Parts: sequence; C-alpha cells; structure tokens
Amino acid sequence: MSDGLVRILDGNTFVVCDERGDIEASPTDPTGLFSFDTRFLSRWVLTVNGERLNPLSVDDLQYFETRFFLVPGTGTVYVDAKLSVIRQRAVGNGFHEELTFLNHLDEPVDLSVRVDAGCDFADLFEVKDALAKKGKHSARVEDGKLVLAYDRGTFGRSTAISASAPARIDKHGLTFKIRIGPHGQWSTRLSVVTERLGVGLAREAMGDPKRAQLRMRRDLERWIDEAPGLECDWDPLKATYRRSLVDLAALRFSPPIAGGHSLPAAGLPWFMTMFGRDSILTSLQALPVTPELAATTLRALGDWQGVGLDDFRDEDPGRILHEMRYGELTAFEERPHSPYYGSADATPLYVVLLDEYERWTGDRALVRELEVEARAALNWIDEYADLQGTGYIWYKRRNEQTGLENQCWKDSWDSISFRDGQLPGFPRATCELQGYAYDAKLRGARLARLVWKDTALADRLEKEAADLKRRFNRDFWVEDEQYFALALDPDGNQVDALASNNGHLLWSGIVEKSKAKAVARHLLGPRLFSGWGVRTLAEGQGRYNPIGYHVGTVWPFDNSFIAWGLRRYGFKEDAAVIAAGILDAAEFFDGRLPEAFGGYQRALTMYPVQYPTACSPQAWSTGAPLLLLRTMLGLEPHGEHLVVDPALPIAIGHLELLDIPGRWGRIDAFGRGRVETKRR
Amino acid sequence: MRSDLTAGFFDELARRGREPLLRKVTGSARFDVVAGERTERWLVTIDKGDIRVSRGNAAAGSVLRADKASFDRVVAGELNLMAAVLRGEVAVEGDPRLVVRLQRLFPRPQGGRTRRQAGSAGRVE
Repeated sequence: MSDGLVRILDGNTFVVCDERGDIEASPTDPTGLFSFDTRFLSRWVLTVNGERLNPLSVDDLQYFETRFFLVPGTGTVYVDAKLSVIRQRAVGNGFHEELTFLNHLDEPVDLSVRVDAGCDFADLFEVKDALAKKGKHSARVEDGKLVLAYDRGTFGRSTAISASAPARIDKHGLTFKIRIGPHGQWSTRLSVVTERLGVGLAREAMGDPKRAQLRMRRDLERWIDEAPGLECDWDPLKATYRRSLVDLAALRFSPPIAGGHSLPAAGLPWFMTMFGRDSILTSLQALPVTPELAATTLRALGDWQGVGLDDFRDEDPGRILHEMRYGELTAFEERPHSPYYGSADATPLYVVLLDEYERWTGDRALVRELEVEARAALNWIDEYADLQGTGYIWYKRRNEQTGLENQCWKDSWDSISFRDGQLPGFPRATCELQGYAYDAKLRGARLARLVWKDTALADRLEKEAADLKRRFNRDFWVEDEQYFALALDPDGNQVDALASNNGHLLWSGIVEKSKAKAVARHLLGPRLFSGWGVRTLAEGQGRYNPIGYHVGTVWPFDNSFIAWGLRRYGFKEDAAVIAAGILDAAEFFDGRLPEAFGGYQRALTMYPVQYPTACSPQAWSTGAPLLLLRTMLGLEPHGEHLVVDPALPIAIGHLELLDIPGRWGRIDAFGRGRVETKRR
Repeated sequence: MRSDLTAGFFDELARRGREPLLRKVTGSARFDVVAGERTERWLVTIDKGDIRVSRGNAAAGSVLRADKASFDRVVAGELNLMAAVLRGEVAVEGDPRLVVRLQRLFPRPQGGRTRRQAGSAGRVE
C-alpha cells in the first residue's frame, strides 16, 4: 500500500492499521476498528518485553483477513531473529487476532507480551471534521474481559476484549507472562467484539465474528465462481478484472434492512454505507457480471424512499436517499443522515437502473413489485425537483447548516462554475440531471407499456421526454464553442464551463444527433482528454486544476459512463480510446483504480498521479473496468438476446468474456483488438 | 400536560384501517409505551396494507419500546424515529426492515416546504 496502511473489511466493519498491525489513531486520522460509522478501537499496540515489533511482510489473505510477520528489533538493516511473531487478523463484527510466537533458540525464553488497547468511540464524521465528544468514556475489567465503553444518554457503544490464554487484564490492555521452550511456540486468540446498548439497556454483541468469517470465505469463492470468466491476451486486464471482482465483493454491504442481501457501499474508509447515487451507478456498471446487486439496491432504496417533506433531511415524497449513517452525530440529529435525501440525481437514476435491470434479466416481477416506487420517483422529477417551474431538475438545499450545496455527483463546493471561474447562485440545474430525467422518462414509459400496462402514462412520459430534449438542446447548447453548458444559473443563464458532464449526456441519449459529433470531439480533444481519460473540467477553464477534486482530475467511473455514451452514439473507436487509457492507468495501481487521479497530460507524467485523499477501493471505480468491458465488447440486450459488437483496442488482443448471465441464460462474448488507440 | 398523543395516534390508525404506503408489508409490530411503572401495549397487525390495532401483550415480529414522552414526540412529528432508534431512545427487537417501513406512518416535522406544483405520475391505489 502506498500510504503504509493495511485495510481489511467486511461490509461496514473495517480495520485500518499500520504494517505491524498496530493502531495508534489520532483524533483526525482514519485508522482503527470501525463499525456502523463508529470507531471501536483507536489504540491497539503489541509489544514484547516493552519493545515494538518490526514488519517483515504483510499478506492480504482475503479482503477480510491479513497476516503480519513480525520480529522484535529497532528496524536496523540487521535483524536478529531469535523470535518471530505472526499476527493473523480477520474482521467480521469486530475482529479476531491469532498471535503466535516462535522461539528459534535452543533454550527457553521468558517474555512479557503486552497488548495496549483504548478507544475514543469517534463518529466517522468527527474523524473527518475533528469534532469533540459530548458523552463519557470508561474502562473496566469484568468476567475476564476488558470493556471499553462510551455513553451519552441512551446512546451506548462498547468494545469487549478477551484472550484465550491466561492474561493479566487492566484498564489499558492485556499482559501475558509466558515461557516458550527451545524451538517451541506459544499462541493466543484475541477477540475484539463490538457492542451497543440494546433492548432493556443490556449490552449486546453486534454479531458473532467467527461465524461471520466462515460465511465470508465460502461467499467469496461462490462470488468469483459465479461471475463470468475472462480470458485475454493482455495479462494486466485479467488482473484488473479479478481485482475488481474481489473488491466489489469486499465493498458489498448488507444494511440491516436487506434481509442478508447486499448492495455496493461507496468506498473505504469514509463511505462504507448506503449511498443512493453510488449504489445505483455501481449496480449499473456491474450488471453484466452480477445482476443481483441491482435487485438489492432497488429494494433497499425503495424501502427508504421519501414519503414526506422534511427540511432537515431534504426529504420529499418519492425522493431516493443520498446517504445513510449510523453514528452518534446522526443519532443525535447533529447530522441529517438518518437518512439524508439531498441528491438530485439518485431519483431519476433509480428508474434508469430498474429498466436496465429488466432489460438484462427479464425479471418483470421486480418491476411490478417496485411499480409504486418507480411512479413516485418519476413524479418527484416534475413535482418536487422543478424548483423554478421551467421544466428542469434544479437543486437547492433546505438544510442550510449541514445539507449538501451541490447535489449532483460533483458535490464539492467549487465544482460548478462559469468558464471564467465564477460560481453561480442557487438553485442550479446541472446538465447531466436533465439527461438522467430524459432517460428516466423514456425508460419509465417502456416499463409502463410493457409491465404496468398503463399506456396513458407511457404516452405522457414519451411526450414529456421529447419536449425536454427539444428545450434542453436549445437552452444548454453553447453555440460559440459547440458543447453543452455545465448548468443553468437561477436566472436561466448558461453556466458555460466545458466539463466531462457532456459525456453523461451522450449516455442518457438527450443529445440531438446533429450535435453529437461536436460533443465527442470535445471529449477526446486536448482540453478534456489527458491521454488517460476525460478530465472533470477542461484545461483552460477558470477553475481548472489537475489535482482539483472535481475541477480537473480524471475519474475512472466518470470515464466508464462517458465511454458508454460514446458507444451509444456510434463512436466505437473513441470509446475504445477511453477504455484503453483507463485500463492502462489501472495497471499502475495494481488493477485497483482509485476514486480519481491527476488530470496531468499523459505525455508529461508518464504515469497517473493519484489524487491525495482519494478513497480506495471505491465502488464505482471498482465497477469502471466492468462497464468498460461491456462497452468495448458492445454488449447490449436486445429482446431475449445479447448482442455482441466488439470494438477493442489493439493492445488487448483476443478477449473472451464467458458465461455472461442474463435473460438468455448464460452466453459467451468474444472479440479481437482492432482499434488503434495510441494515436493521441 | 397535553392530551394523550400516542393513544390518539393508534386510535386514528385503527380507524383508517388501510395505509397504501404499507401495501407490501405483512407482519406485526408491538409498541411498548412505558409511562413510569406502567407499560401500555399496542399491537399493530398489517396484512398488505390493511391495518388492525389491538391492545395487549401478544408476540410480534418487531417490538419497539420507549418512554411515553418519546412516543408522543414521534407521533407528533417532532422526533425522527430512525434517529431515536440509533441513539437507543427507542429500543427495537426483531425485524429491522419492518421498522424502516413503519416509520412511513409517522408525520414529518411541521413547516416543511409545500409541494411546488401539481402534476402526477399516477397512483396504483
């Protein structure tokens, strides 16, 4: 790992530690054991006779299991290995750690082994924003366990730590006085169990770690087995594909309401939770590989669909949630995430996913089951999102303290700007939202006709979509430069920066045919295309910065949808160029694409520069190679069949994707690289 | 001292008899409302949106337990049920998915923005 941190996870429980396996968290860094957005261990340090250990190697056995090989010493070149320590840790409702000490001498050794433990019980939001705690911490020893606790009124969280070998336990950790015979070994199993205050104020464990591990091991094997197999002349693509499958498995998250089914969480470490936008887009990317993710995403988000008007949560009837959190600040309503609804794209994208899911799987039962949710989502577009009454989706937060200013995927404060860098007022209507609305209406019409048998609704939605397309191509088109404006400001003026959002417009189909070529030329032109991918904001715009979060970096997820959009309008070669660039970049990250990387010209840096605080792994970056595969192979459901129409970069050579699941059963797709992509 | 909001809520729910927002829900939830030494219990049985309310200590798929003061605020739209569950003010036993769906029954805070304009994608029921 580039940052020297080791991460293991299961759903929304994860451990971030150093290469020795130790945790020494400061209030503001994201190391520790986290579960349900709360830190349950902030200190976990192993010493032998008062000495810290040194790492020889770290093996990531599984995404939920790591093994550390350690030796005592000071970290000089010469390591006097009279003693080895193996520390094997698996996460799952807390974690288990197997400590094994090996004596390499001909004589016995006496050791004092110490594990220091402590916890600040920080809410992830506090770690992110460095806030102070309001409740009380305590530590006590009871029933052979060290219990670290935090209480604020009825809100209680605790961590119970115990060992299988006899230990002296105090309020700050566990000590083992041991003797190991010549060439002998000693081991103990440490259990760290996360607890919360439950019914009748009894403390209850949040699950059984050991059983969770067994389940996970079997589950990962099944997951990999059931995904399509990939054969290819270009080895890095095989590695990237496998990495994506494993990371996607790791990022699956079973919210307490999903009945054991899982959907993609957004990313480690900050976003191991349910996100409307991220879960939907990742499910779309992963459809060719694992359609079940989409079904769970649709059901879980449907359960949480807004039913009333709540300004604190930016909730409207029919609105799909933005983000769900479980930590202390959410519990005490210092943050609105129970859940928070401030997203302007998740609701139309919900309908898009439902339709695309049906096209792949033929699962009309789910479309019937979610009819009311889908209708309510379509209704939200016209009735609640059109804040200006102009027939567009606009956003403006009602929660002025802790709500989100930008409710589109580019959600940082400076992401939406004019060419000259000025920021528009609110409400704002970003262009891709209108594309999603257009697509949602057309797809909603298809479902209404096919499954809900409501021709009147279908006719109306199609008419509205046609009207939206006509107005959009008039109101957003920047005539002098021939691209679509990033947004409209509250007065209806074009927010005229050139940005990657143009690619999403191609994906949604809202672009008039006569304008598509100019848009494609911009996307692959020198101002937007870096050689690796399309920049979020074009070089030369007022706020362009190659390492600015949404104002110049390249986002792999963004590019996967842009490539899909180019394909939709027939620009196969251009789609292949983008796919080749992003997949080349993946090779530099060992197959794990980060959330974003620098927008520097490829010829300048020769390697992709990772954005400093990017989440990794991150769900929709993990999904990007899957959608790029679909795009390059030209996979498109058509009736009961899967059409294959490959346009692959030459470097990939021969490519096979085997046993692609869908309404056709299982089908294989083949292609050979013929597109020259080195020309730029 | 205000009138008994919680009892009023369940009376109204019983009268309504049907809630379209719960049309996919079949199950039962018991609300244990603690007022000092006394616990009052309401059992809400839902069959695809048809609702029956009864009193008493019957077994249920989910049990929600809290002080009367807390429930009064939930049914008045002053306290968000999920936040209250997260902080332990309302304790939950049993099926969490049912609780997520039940929160649709409770009003949102007063003073929310009103709908901007008419136009509807139709209703199933």
